[in-house]
Amino acid sequence: MSYEVKVNNRTAQVDLLQWEGAYVHIKVDGKEYKLDFEKVGKGIFSLIHNNTSYNIELIPGENVKKYTINTHKNTFEAEVIDAEAKYRASRLKGSEEDAENTITAPIPGKIVRIPVETGQKVTAGQTIVVFSAMKMESEFKAKKDGVVKEVNVKEGQNVEAKKVLVVVE
Amino acid sequence: MANKVKPKGQTMIKKVLVANRGEIAVRIMRSCREMGILTVAVYSDADRKAMHVLYADEAYHIGASPSSESYLNITRILEVAKACNADAIHPGYGFLSENAFFSEKCQQSGIKFIGPKPHAISQMGDKITARKTMLAAKVPVVPGTETAITDDQQAIRMIHDIGLPVMVKASAGGGGKGMRLVKRAEDIESSISAARSEAKSAFGDDAVYIEKYIESPHHIEFQILADQHGNVIQLFERECSVQRRHQKIIEETPSPILTPKVREEMGKAAVAAARAVNYEGAGTIEFIVDNQLNYYFLEMNTRLQVEHPITERVVGIDLVKEQIRIASGQKLTYQQEELQQNGHAIECRVYAEDAANNFMPDPGKVTHITIPYGVGVRVDGYIYEGFEIPTFYDPLIAKLIVWGRNREDAIERTLRALQEFKIAGVKTSLNFLENIMTAPDFKGGNYTTHFIDENINHLLNEKDACADNCEDMVVISAFLEYLYRIRKASPKEMTALKNNWKDYSRIRSVLKL
Repeated sequence: MSYEVKVNNRTAQVDLLQWEGAYVHIKVDGKEYKLDFEKVGKGIFSLIHNNTSYNIELIPGENVKKYTINTHKNTFEAEVIDAEAKYRASRLKGSEEDAENTITAPIPGKIVRIPVETGQKVTAGQTIVVFSAMKMESEFKAKKDGVVKEVNVKEGQNVEAKKVLVVVE
Repeated sequence: MANKVKPKGQTMIKKVLVANRGEIAVRIMRSCREMGILTVAVYSDADRKAMHVLYADEAYHIGASPSSESYLNITRILEVAKACNADAIHPGYGFLSENAFFSEKCQQSGIKFIGPKPHAISQMGDKITARKTMLAAKVPVVPGTETAITDDQQAIRMIHDIGLPVMVKASAGGGGKGMRLVKRAEDIESSISAARSEAKSAFGDDAVYIEKYIESPHHIEFQILADQHGNVIQLFERECSVQRRHQKIIEETPSPILTPKVREEMGKAAVAAARAVNYEGAGTIEFIVDNQLNYYFLEMNTRLQVEHPITERVVGIDLVKEQIRIASGQKLTYQQEELQQNGHAIECRVYAEDAANNFMPDPGKVTHITIPYGVGVRVDGYIYEGFEIPTFYDPLIAKLIVWGRNREDAIERTLRALQEFKIAGVKTSLNFLENIMTAPDFKGGNYTTHFIDENINHLLNEKDACADNCEDMVVISAFLEYLYRIRKASPKEMTALKNNWKDYSRIRSVLKL
């Protein structure tokens, strides 16, 4: 059977050729692996390939296809892509672009400064809003070049989570 | 624990109310437990399931989640202290720890405040008064003004006397707030006006003072302990120059730049500063140091600090126990001559924030946490799996404190411990901290408070994907786990795969790593 697995920014094609006891014969993006595989605990795998030992820890994400995965030194976000996930991804493509242009408050906080005004041209990386929450100050920056279309808040204003602060187009 | 008969004025504290939360509340309670002292937790709505509540002997609800209604609610906290017969309150850091009024109210209520007397707090809390006090004690201060500036023209004249660049600072401010850097003559007037109006709105007081701005500054602070009998000792320094927007991220001791001679001088100056205000308890004198090792008093923190564990590790003492003993009227346990710095310690503050997204705080539920272990590794935290980090307080998850026999060892060990430290469910600064450990300026011990700005590209680097097919193993693991999970619903197919299940009752932590 053939599936796609997304790991951080990479999407890999996976083909399981054989799985018998601890023996797994599998292809990742065409590369063949013959492994000794043991599930040693809930969400903990030991894989030995050519005598190299891999200890992998999987933490379930929001659904049965998503995981946070830890190796010894790294952490990955992984998702198994089946037909349903592919369909949903193609539907979302349009709205993602809009999301890039609005600056929203991720958590409740306070607007410290707004160094831009409606109609102003901004460049990617330019600070649009300075926001304070949980005793830390953060700068929200424009994701791409554009013009400030709407400024919905004032300096000193307290805002709730998800409030749209500034729209850049 | 039986009450021992002690000389007059020395009654060991029996029950401590910790007026704080998070990691410091747990840390304080641990020392109390060791001393046989009962602990009382106070908690807000958001903290009902917090570790300090679970850990304490008694717990009282004090109010709604916002700090002003709970951890800053003096009336409510004192009510609880009286109701539970606490004979002492430990304020931790932040919140009410440097509130002279609170210290006063405790005194009036007959409850020991584990910290200095109100006058010491107010004297050092007002930055202009603090400077004057230090000058009188012959402690070097940053060249600057001696009195509050209320007149813009006066300020401009003083700036010309001191020489640019200067910092305009709020007298009622502190902790990095209410400050403006002025580099050019043309910016003087606007900076002073802006600083004064900011000070007015933030602290209700528009008095400002001017200090020379030290280029290439190092932030080096000294820990002191003072008892009620006039004994004061200094427990050496902490180098805290790795800061982002005046928030410390990494602290280490000993400082990589101090010489034994300067260290001794600064230690003496720290003791003199504490004596000048008849200090009692644990405190910290902050200095700013330039590349020529000229040092100047910056401010005094009249409380226990976040980074106190690195001093504990290198000097070999428990500062909270000393605070409790001092508050109980005992003499200091240690003499200056017996104190030494042994080895090197580094502390990393692990924050729930997204470094890749302008360090936005990222509160939420922690779905998984793996704490690093090994020789010389200490973690002061309070988060457990399933705990929801609230949005109302600061996003500090844990402090990783590492000891090594020298600086190089400590850095290697810190890097290893950071790699082992796994937290899922919220974004954390772990990756950012690892990049600090590998930055050449940090490894070389050659950095100032500009370190983060100067190295931001290296620090924001995503980690290299693991080598040697490791990423493919991750892909494979995700896929195989997915197969296990979807096949839970259809055991027939499971048997067909001929899975090899291990005994699920094996203790999980033993099998990891």
